[in-house]
Amino acid sequence: MNLSDGERVISVLNEAGYEWTDNEEEAGLIGILACSVRQKAIDKVYSRIYKWNKWKNHKNLVTFISGCLLPDDHEKFLKLFDVTFQMKDLPKLPEMISRYGVTTPVHLNVGIDPHNENIEEFWNVKPNYQSGFEAFIPIQNGCDKFCSFCAVPYTRGREVSRPSKDIISETALLIAQGYKSITLLGQNVNSYGLDKKGEEISFPQLLREIGELGKRMKREFWVYFTSPHPRDMSDEVIEAIAEYPALAKQVHLPMQSGDDKVLMRMNRKHNMEKYRNIVESIRRIIPQATLFTDIIVGFTGETEEQFENTRKAMEEFRFNMSYTAIYSPRPGATSHRWADDVPLEEKKKRLHILTEELRKHNRPYNKNLVGKTVRVLVRGSDRKEGYLSGHTEGKLIVRFATDDEKITGQFVDVKITSASDFSLEGELMEQVEAGSVGFKAATHG
Amino acid sequence: MEKHKVIELRHLTDSSFVVRMERNGLEFQTGQFISVSLNGKVDRREYSVYSGEKDDYLEVLVREVERGKVSGRLKNLKAEDDIYVDGPFGFFKFSPQTFSSKKFLFIATGTGISPFHSFVRTHRGLDYQLIHGVRYACEAYGHSDFETGKTILCTSGDDGGNFSGRVTDYLYSQRIDHDTNCFLCGNSEMIYEVFDMLTAKGIPVSNIYSEVYF
Ligand SMILES: Cc1cc2nc3c(=O)[nH]c(=O)nc-3n(C[C@H](O)[C@H](O)[C@H](O)COP(=O)(O)OP(=O)(O)OC[C@H]3O[C@@H](n4cnc5c(N)ncnc54)[C@H](O)[C@@H]3O)c2cc1C
Repeated sequence: MNLSDGERVISVLNEAGYEWTDNEEEAGLIGILACSVRQKAIDKVYSRIYKWNKWKNHKNLVTFISGCLLPDDHEKFLKLFDVTFQMKDLPKLPEMISRYGVTTPVHLNVGIDPHNENIEEFWNVKPNYQSGFEAFIPIQNGCDKFCSFCAVPYTRGREVSRPSKDIISETALLIAQGYKSITLLGQNVNSYGLDKKGEEISFPQLLREIGELGKRMKREFWVYFTSPHPRDMSDEVIEAIAEYPALAKQVHLPMQSGDDKVLMRMNRKHNMEKYRNIVESIRRIIPQATLFTDIIVGFTGETEEQFENTRKAMEEFRFNMSYTAIYSPRPGATSHRWADDVPLEEKKKRLHILTEELRKHNRPYNKNLVGKTVRVLVRGSDRKEGYLSGHTEGKLIVRFATDDEKITGQFVDVKITSASDFSLEGELMEQVEAGSVGFKAATHG
Repeated sequence: MEKHKVIELRHLTDSSFVVRMERNGLEFQTGQFISVSLNGKVDRREYSVYSGEKDDYLEVLVREVERGKVSGRLKNLKAEDDIYVDGPFGFFKFSPQTFSSKKFLFIATGTGISPFHSFVRTHRGLDYQLIHGVRYACEAYGHSDFETGKTILCTSGDDGGNFSGRVTDYLYSQRIDHDTNCFLCGNSEMIYEVFDMLTAKGIPVSNIYSEVYF
């Protein structure tokens, strides 16, 4: 989410005549898009701003901060930064910076607006996309779910859906410019539209409109979305993914825990029966889809037995990827007030067990792809010298030998020659020309 | 957050009280909670709505938690004071017409009775039973608003209730029809134990709804 916000901030500052520099010490204007969700990230903000404020003794420097801030942090930052603003007021940032010095410091709309009024003004800023082939499109801001481990409802406010016509026109523009990977972003994408109470299309309808766009524009591209909440995940969404080639056959479905009681305490409002039904629908309707998840280990009071249920769930669902996090209480979240009572060593052990479980399934899955040809979106150089890497439609990582860096950002077909637990290696077969369709479709991964 | 004026504070025991405040048009569905703060900024806490959907005021039932940051300060509120409210939030919503079986079992510990109080104030003539676990009989918060014969007060610290012992001790010997919709609210320890007990008695997980306070 912050990456997508950042693209819009850069765009507004470019328009106002500012030029980007990679060199922090050279900058006359430095800003942070913060994320209060993790304490570590906030600690970093403090160390940076103290450093920058020292620099002000010998150079002209203006500092600003915005992003995902808890009211508590927001209050403290008011004293440390020259300019603070809420993302929805981004279009006013250049004016605020120019006012700095006249009415210093400038803090627009102090506090967090839980209702996200005027968020459209932020969405209307044309982003300065940081990549020429993959882009993120915010479709929603805020969250109404109140999972007990998460502070987002307090930092980003209530769920507000962006008008579908704007999402569709931003998508169309990106496709016309040759973008290959587009991710629809939101804290709870599949409750898209619900806040508008019948005046906006639903998430499956939005997916269908984008799918139709893909058909009309006759371009090859992959559209992803993240993250959905199991509570609002319907067969309609899965059927839309199955029907339209432009909708990537990859589903990211956060499970968080495989134990019903832990899910209750996490206030997830889904149980394992519901989760199991969704996975069954995905396997039945789009059998080729890859399945990704998010899991938290060592949540408040998680017993060995409860953790074992998570491990069993991993075994059952055979995820292709799991973003597994060790639980750490997040300031502002309900569970921050509860005892963080699983020892760190135990949490690490649980993380290790789940990683091994993931390997166990990935190994045969990836091995099965050896000898097959897959379509890959090339994302850039690999750590391995002389190799580029990218991902399949199902977001599996593939590397292959080539010295032709110019194919970065393009689709290529790669014949898989070997597989490891978390990636694949292959031979470059053919480059797929930009803008064309109807290639021999790579149907795996 | 929106400013709401306190109308009155009703003390039910030494440590529990009901805060009645102006409703200011806040629409909620019974079972939801609001987020309450004393200064509109930091230190906000969640409280289930205690009053009914049709009441022209808004109420929350609070127990002062020892060394708690917010609950103790709420206890000092007086009529005409301002408090700040955000919401409503949550999915512990209750509308009886959406259930095919109309049998309801409400199980609460302590102030976890609050959403059930709102349920019965909003929907009359329900086929329900409330099992409420507290330490002492004086903590039978708002029991007079429930229908006679439909509540079981389980007291673990005295013999003043209908049953001496914990909610789980009472439930142990009870037969529960499999199509009963079970709502659990309060501390996670009770919710975990009751969840195990209900599933062992054959209640499907999809008939169990919960709201965890801590
Ligand atoms: C969805 C939701 C709805 C809630 N509804 C209600 C309600 O209707 N009425 C109500 O009184 N409380 C309710 N709570 C609890 C409430 O939000 C606060 O946690 C509670 O008032 C304590 O806040 P505090 O600032 O005084 O304590 P804190 O400074 O936050 O410290 C609280 C400490 O005491 C523990 N604790 C929290 N609540 C209790 C409790 N009730 N009894 C014993 N220990 C506790 C916590 O685990 C924590 O360690 C609800 C919580 C949630 C998540």
